[in-house]
Amino acid sequence: MTIMLRINGVSRTVDVAAGETLLEVLRREGFVGVKCGCGTGDCGACAVLLNGRAVNSCLTLAGKVDGAEILTVEGLASVERLHPLQEAFLDEGAVQCGYCTPGMLMSGIDLLTRNPNPSEDEIREAISGNLCRCTGYVKQVRAIQSAAERMRSGGDDCAT
Amino acid sequence: MTARPDREFEVVGKNERKVDGTGLVAGRRKFVADLHLPNTLHVKILGSPHAHARITSIDTSDAEAIPGVACVLSHENTPSTRHTTAGQGYPEPSPYDARMFDTKVRFVGDRVAAVAAESEMIASEALKAIRVEYEELPAVLSIDAALQEGAPVVHDEADSTGIYDAARNIVADVDIDVGDVEKGFEESTVVVETTCETQYAQHTPIEPHVVLAYLDSDERIVVRTSTQVPFHVRRILAYTLGIPMHQIRVIKPRVGGGFGTKQEVLLEDVAALVTLRTGRAALLELTRAEEFIAARTRHPMRVRVKLGAKADGSLHAIEMEGLSNTGAYGAHGLTVLANTGSKTLPLYNKAENAHFFGQAVYTNLPVPGAYRGYGATQGYFPLETAMDELAEKLSIDPVELRRLNHIRLGETSPIFEKLGEGREGVSQTVKSCELARCIEIGAERIGWTEKRGKQSKDGPWVHGVGMSIMMQGSGIPEIDMAAATIKMNEDGSFNLLIGATDIGTGSDTILAQMAAEVLGVPLSKMVVTSSDTDTTPFDVGAYASSTTYVSGTAVVRAAEKVRAQILAVAAPLLESPAEGLFLREEAVVAANGSRVGLDRVCQRAMYESDQFQIAATASFVPSESPPPFLANFAEVAVDTETGRVNVLHYVAAVDCGVAIHPKLAEGQLEGSIVNGLGYALTEEMITSSRGRVRNPSLFDYKIPGALDLPKLEVVLVDSYEPTGPMGAKSVGEIGINGPIPTIANAIYDAVGVRLRKTPFTPERVLAAMRAS
Amino acid sequence: MALHQIQSMIRPSTLKEAWKAKAEQCESARFLGGGIDVVLYTPSSVTTLIDLAGLGLSDVREDVSGLMIGGTTTMTEAIESAAVKAYAGAFLIRVLKEVASPLQRNAATFGGTLGSAHPWSDVIPALLVLDAELDVYDGSDRAIGLEAYLEGRGNDVAPIICAIRLPGELRPARGAFATFTRTAFDVGLLNVACVGSIDGGAWKDVRIAVGGTPGLAARLRGVEKGLVGSAADDALIEEASAAAADAIDARDDLRASGEYRRILARTLVGRCLAEISEGSTG
Repeated sequence: MTIMLRINGVSRTVDVAAGETLLEVLRREGFVGVKCGCGTGDCGACAVLLNGRAVNSCLTLAGKVDGAEILTVEGLASVERLHPLQEAFLDEGAVQCGYCTPGMLMSGIDLLTRNPNPSEDEIREAISGNLCRCTGYVKQVRAIQSAAERMRSGGDDCAT
Repeated sequence: MTARPDREFEVVGKNERKVDGTGLVAGRRKFVADLHLPNTLHVKILGSPHAHARITSIDTSDAEAIPGVACVLSHENTPSTRHTTAGQGYPEPSPYDARMFDTKVRFVGDRVAAVAAESEMIASEALKAIRVEYEELPAVLSIDAALQEGAPVVHDEADSTGIYDAARNIVADVDIDVGDVEKGFEESTVVVETTCETQYAQHTPIEPHVVLAYLDSDERIVVRTSTQVPFHVRRILAYTLGIPMHQIRVIKPRVGGGFGTKQEVLLEDVAALVTLRTGRAALLELTRAEEFIAARTRHPMRVRVKLGAKADGSLHAIEMEGLSNTGAYGAHGLTVLANTGSKTLPLYNKAENAHFFGQAVYTNLPVPGAYRGYGATQGYFPLETAMDELAEKLSIDPVELRRLNHIRLGETSPIFEKLGEGREGVSQTVKSCELARCIEIGAERIGWTEKRGKQSKDGPWVHGVGMSIMMQGSGIPEIDMAAATIKMNEDGSFNLLIGATDIGTGSDTILAQMAAEVLGVPLSKMVVTSSDTDTTPFDVGAYASSTTYVSGTAVVRAAEKVRAQILAVAAPLLESPAEGLFLREEAVVAANGSRVGLDRVCQRAMYESDQFQIAATASFVPSESPPPFLANFAEVAVDTETGRVNVLHYVAAVDCGVAIHPKLAEGQLEGSIVNGLGYALTEEMITSSRGRVRNPSLFDYKIPGALDLPKLEVVLVDSYEPTGPMGAKSVGEIGINGPIPTIANAIYDAVGVRLRKTPFTPERVLAAMRAS
Repeated sequence: MALHQIQSMIRPSTLKEAWKAKAEQCESARFLGGGIDVVLYTPSSVTTLIDLAGLGLSDVREDVSGLMIGGTTTMTEAIESAAVKAYAGAFLIRVLKEVASPLQRNAATFGGTLGSAHPWSDVIPALLVLDAELDVYDGSDRAIGLEAYLEGRGNDVAPIICAIRLPGELRPARGAFATFTRTAFDVGLLNVACVGSIDGGAWKDVRIAVGGTPGLAARLRGVEKGLVGSAADDALIEEASAAAADAIDARDDLRASGEYRRILARTLVGRCLAEISEGSTG
């Protein structure tokens, strides 16, 4: 079946099989920043924004999201600069192997879009579906807090 | 040996952005499966349904006939060379007991055949079309069963080597002693003995094992793999496949976590052989279920510790006996067992009598391998539990008992030279040790004196505090080798070529920081290429906590050689002898302040006068393995009605020498501690009565998430290791050893129950409370 | 990963269309809510998916008869709904926040959850103690109680769940919920949902459901009867908790033993009742 997706602000038509997941389609279309860690929705590495909400792309049927707006990690930065959340991840040392990072960033963006001043507990809850084995989450939580501060004090140029 | 510099570092010790960081947060840095090559074949492996069986016949013709199937591999058409999959230095201290595809299967999930096809779907269909007949054999599903008289023999083949006693299923046997423990126990005022058991656990790197093999334009085979050990992969592949090493190139791109499970040549042989047979690129990626079933795991162990002490608390005799389940293949069996003693016993060096012995045993169960901590994790559980039991018997505070007994600056332990990586070790003296300060800080931050023994209550919750101390090592002395090459470019930048393997640890960054420090340039002027067997010099890879100390020293030495060359070129330009010059802020500076830019210097050498490429290679084999030290303190609350253990507060104070990058060093501790918390409380691979893994998914095997954490404090205690590059030691493994004994001791403080079997699930804790 | 057996996805715009497609294909067609359970658990015999997202079933509304949650409403939409917050002291929100992860809650629908009826479901015991009724469609519109719906699964042809209705009488009720998981992002070894109130020192309406035993959640009507009308004191709560532990069909599985589940049932039922009782004082 042919569907239309608007990925990182650019529309394209994509041929998909009826039973394909959004994760497979995105990676096939070249968005390899979207990672597969389990294929069963248990790790969150595949998270993307679907119409503004972070979801497991491995559990999303591509055929179901015809016409949807999708944001992947590749769409976070503008040509000139990184998103404040990406900057914060770098500065706080929140990236080790980086495999969980794209999904983690998506959950962070979803949170900060809706809640510009999240508490530590709210941050933890927002990333509770993103497993990381490298960092112990400490610096990731701090990075999201730091990004929230940057964004509140005028760090604009957010891609969403 | 160096002394602490009186000048502050420029680049080292700073929290620089990782050199690969921007690419990682932008999703641009490529992992193995992110490189899409045309006409790539997808490879899938057929795993055994039986724990122990002979393959009496295998018919792949139906599978081969399926359109889209390019080739099918089995024991009938692949090399039969016995080898080890363990990524260790040659000659590997692990048995050569594995075949690419064997005529016998030894655990549920063991390799039977492999299919390469146009798509994953076709490959999966083809697997189902392979017809295999098995003669099922009785299986041994525990250490005790394997050691029984007349037990089925897991490795009964004639052509395996390096097994201690195959007929009795014993892969390795270790036995070393110092003094006379029996006499020591007789002479002791108090003796305690405890036996602890640890479970099957898995590393669960978020990126499963994956490899992409292809032929490059020169018809050489390139293996692009998620590995910790690219050079060992190249060597073992050449050996296993019977092809010349120089025809193989191994490249490690970004790796999504390893923690030891990727210190193994697990998939590369299959992918490489498919490419050689078909001429096409071959992608082999494990599913998450396969990652649990057929990758590598922690060694489950039963370890007994007996301590004898004098009335004043000084240890007089230590005995540790380890029984390790090494699963169906012996990779890392000997060395993990040896580490259980070698990384624990020297901590209490003043006991004149010590005995470490044990065996690693084959079973028809999933295969353990290297896992962060590497035996020390399993050893510290009974050791630090026994210390607490000793403290109680002697009516000495547990913290005091540690203070009294731990190794100190300038001291040695006879264990260092008696027990190494599966053979004798290397004698050494401790040249940096801030353990006392670590203990002090930890005790203060947790509120030890205020909370210990108080059992404060909060509804059904009872609080308790516990602690433990530990050491690890920094590389394998006189065995590990690292090398680095640095060459200069005419804009004053450098290429740093290192074999060292960044698996997310940030080694590319910290090694570049060290080189940049020596050469007086910012980090941005250091371009790193790593882990490519064609272009980077040798390095054993990322294991044994070796990268900072061993690879770091090689980098510093190479940088110093390059510095000498730069100064020699600059000397005539500054009309000053080279000895009086130094490097700072991208220039060569003379004592009188006159300077010449590095770009100018390189241009001169590249194009103008006495031309040569400013470059150097240096290698390093360490002669010692300076231990980092760690003190862990935790406060827990135990729900007396359900047995749930909540870790409220966890403090880890560590001496890792100079932290080259403080946030990355903290990150190593935070990550390893959280992994250790899972190992202590929730993680357990459960096997059925037929040896099948019952919970091979992240749905059923629970690792900590962001909502499962205590207040976690990591403190890097100021320290300087004179033999370490820039004063550094290691930090990668030690953290994971802390949670089990610390939490066990805290649970005892809270509810008076000693847990000796991990994980401390609520059901187990409640049962223990009710039994006491 | 991909469901290779699926050959087509239909996206009907009316209930009639949707039901017709299902009736034509019977067992080889499956309804699609958020899609999570479809991706995870669809057998190889299913070749057609019928997406219910276009049927306009994602309203959340409150009126005199009570709270209505549309069948394709996601968990997150319910969590963010003012009407859901106002109902039973935001009891449902508390429960929904325990379900899976925010990523899954952004996609999982109420209809999908009921259609799968996983025994570990947190939503089902919560809806059971709220006397949930379902508006369903299986060729015609009808209403069915949640319990009857759950009992009929497997026997009757599964209808489309258009809406979940919660009664207006329970709007002022207070609830308590407990799910005993290993890590936070986990399903419970057991879960307990309780709704009730205390009037003049005695238990008035009490509803208790226990799930994940590992069987599907069920109301403990015997235990409820033992409470209603009696003085709300600690001794009675203990008695009721012990009765609850005996009343459930507790069995061993990968996560826990049946014996431990009984201990948990006793403890968690006791705690839920105590929470309601304390909340109701004054």
